[in-house]
Amino acid sequence: MLDLSRVQKELMDCNRDKDISGISVELRGDDLSRLFGTISGPIATPYEGGTFRIDIHLTDEYPFEPPKMQFMTKVWHPNISSQNGAICLDILKDQWSPALTIKTALLSLQALLSAPEPDDPQDAVVAQQYLRDYPTFVGTARYWTETFAKRASVGIEEKVQKLVEMGFPEDLVRKSLDKVGGDENMALEKLCSG
Amino acid sequence: MENDKKPNNVVDDEMEKWDINLSIDVGEEWSNYRDDEVMQQHNAIQAVEAGKLPYVGDKEPLSALAAEYQSGSPVLLEKIKVLGQNYAAIRRTRGDGNCFFRCFMFSYLEHIMESQDKTEVDRIKENVEQCKKTLQGLGYADFTFEDFFTLFLDQVNDVLQGNETSISHDELVSRSRDQSVSDYVVMFFRFVTSGEIRRRSEFFEPFIMGLSNTTVEKFCKASVEPMGEESDHVHITALSDTLGVPIRVMYLDRSSSDSGTVSINHHDFIPAISDPPVATNSDSVSVVEPFITLLYRPGHYDILYPK
Repeated sequence: MLDLSRVQKELMDCNRDKDISGISVELRGDDLSRLFGTISGPIATPYEGGTFRIDIHLTDEYPFEPPKMQFMTKVWHPNISSQNGAICLDILKDQWSPALTIKTALLSLQALLSAPEPDDPQDAVVAQQYLRDYPTFVGTARYWTETFAKRASVGIEEKVQKLVEMGFPEDLVRKSLDKVGGDENMALEKLCSG
Repeated sequence: MENDKKPNNVVDDEMEKWDINLSIDVGEEWSNYRDDEVMQQHNAIQAVEAGKLPYVGDKEPLSALAAEYQSGSPVLLEKIKVLGQNYAAIRRTRGDGNCFFRCFMFSYLEHIMESQDKTEVDRIKENVEQCKKTLQGLGYADFTFEDFFTLFLDQVNDVLQGNETSISHDELVSRSRDQSVSDYVVMFFRFVTSGEIRRRSEFFEPFIMGLSNTTVEKFCKASVEPMGEESDHVHITALSDTLGVPIRVMYLDRSSSDSGTVSINHHDFIPAISDPPVATNSDSVSVVEPFITLLYRPGHYDILYPK
């Protein structure tokens, strides 16, 4: 069983200083096991000015098992898959400990944005670019931030709600919005074309 | 995965990790791989281990240990014979990296159950309260550790008889095999061990540098707080000190002395007492006799029972 009281305490703790930390966690619905986190792109990195959403899934074994985290916002980073947002970070795997929290994990993701580890990559293509052609990497990462992390951050929940009210199932809506980088019209087109 | 075939369980663990990585690399895109898939594979390996032995096994006569080495090293067989002069039985624990803590949990609770030593219970509760303050002082949020503390104290209370929640020895065995109790208690120990190492970082630093060439902070994060990280002298010293419980470890390895006589090395971890007892007699220079004895084979701990 998921330790609900702990998750509730974590949510409160995390959102208490979200203005300072640039990190927040919200519920996706009524279910405490489905959350999404938000981190702001660190200053003086190609991610500056971006707001990155992270899908968080807590299994029944949490806090013994790490939270499953995946970037919903597309991001160009050696340790994050440019395809599906999967993250390569030790504390989300074997270095996880119940002494850590969702907040510390999100803080680690923020630190990862500041300090990529290209020698332990999740996305080999990005890592290669980072190591061989750093200026192009910075350009691409900045472009992705501009394109995906700024637009998508504007009221995505309202877009979801709007499309759900049109009669589309929520998970499909989220997937479509995610695929098109948060563009409501493109998502609608995608949903209509099935 | 016993030690008669492979000299070191640590090596086995390494090989398992290596196997996982190998299967990932073959013919698959990096980016297609997700953390949870890696975790699943890890969990699958643990499930196979679980089938072999519960977290804490049954009490077995020492002859069961000798049987393991029947076609093995004669030095080890000789040593087990020597061990048999003072020890009657062994209780195995699962080799999942938490074995030291599970050994300690079971031995300690079983000792309290058998001795009904209320003074000891009061004493350890005071130490646990100190541990809590240590963690708070180090900046841990209460909600990260309080559940683990509560669960450990519950177990200590429950092995004392005469309460509504008192449990039998059978129940103690089954709780120690129940993940929802056993893992919480292991995690409690990991918290207090980490707290003690950080609190006395100056003392532990040279040992940690020698062991893993890393900082105290990193060592605690990487080798103490995550479940499944194996325990070394540093962990045992810190746990013994912070809870004030002496631990004896008997070492069963292939080493032999120059004189040719077979003897077994042991080490007593005696807590550094910060608060000396209030009432002291002149003849109170008593030798502390550990009531927890563990058998160490490279990479693994089991519980030993004296005669």
